[in-house]
Amino acid sequence: MPMNHLTGRAIEEGFRQSLKKFAIVGFGTEILYSFIIITCSLMIYFGTKELYELTSHKGIKYFRQAFLFFALAYFFRSFIKFILTYFNVGQILDISPRMISPIFGQITLGIFMYFSSMAIFYLLYSVMWKKWNDNSQKIYLFHLLAFIIAVFSIFFRNSLVYFGINILLLCFVIFTFYISRKQSKQKKAKHNLHIIYTLLFSFWILNIIDILIPNFFQTFQLFMYIISSALFLAMLYKVLKKVGST
Amino acid sequence: MAKRGKLEIIRDILNIIKENHNSIKPTPLLRQSNISSTRFKEYFNELLKRNFIREVNHKKEKFILLTEKGFKYLEKYKTIINFIDEFEL
Repeated sequence: MPMNHLTGRAIEEGFRQSLKKFAIVGFGTEILYSFIIITCSLMIYFGTKELYELTSHKGIKYFRQAFLFFALAYFFRSFIKFILTYFNVGQILDISPRMISPIFGQITLGIFMYFSSMAIFYLLYSVMWKKWNDNSQKIYLFHLLAFIIAVFSIFFRNSLVYFGINILLLCFVIFTFYISRKQSKQKKAKHNLHIIYTLLFSFWILNIIDILIPNFFQTFQLFMYIISSALFLAMLYKVLKKVGST
Repeated sequence: MAKRGKLEIIRDILNIIKENHNSIKPTPLLRQSNISSTRFKEYFNELLKRNFIREVNHKKEKFILLTEKGFKYLEKYKTIINFIDEFEL
């Protein structure tokens, strides 16, 4: 009996180990993941170029800029991941001054945080600009807010601060989004779009946390990557379907 | 009748030119556009500036013609509206 018990535990342990091995993401997977997201974002950006050139519509402009900023943010994200893998450290703030100037790593982190916050703000603004009477000063306010978030990320070397900032950002975006939807006359608005946007916002925040707080997700990292990629692919499909149709 | 949006007014102006064998004088265009002369002037200048239309002088008379970009706008109008509607932009 004890023998069987031991064998059972060994099998369980083996299964757990192989699941861990499968789920822990290597640098190759990181590159593939970034490639999918950057390609989707740039395809959305360039795929809607003609529509914007024909209309100069502000909603289309902000929508395109959101995906351009997503592409830039993911580029810097993969760059940070490269630095982490290259120097074999847990987080960018752990990089020793002997390896590389710490300012270099921190500035990259700041740029990443700025672009990623702006991507979310642009996506929110693309939906809200009409309700906010296209007060273009608001977009400068968002730039300022993104800049403050970037500076916070550089100077506060505390995981809880990172986590708090991102949760606040997520709450703000989702709250604004749903309040506007409730007030909207278009009651039968596209449910799919709202679900995709909410998931996009949520998973984007998870991506930020993944960069800022090392080993936060551990075995769930790969699943997060798969779902994030699926969301961007769904968005690309929706865009191409609409842009391609006449 | 619902108030027309900017994109729709542009579509209507361009359509009027197209339906008149791509050549119309400014006065009938203003009349058929169904907007005030002040707004028409604004739209007209914008369409010229954005290269959707061009002016041609023929026998001392001014005619308005669609450019390739103008035709493209008409061709893509439905796509544009569907896209804006789909993503609530």
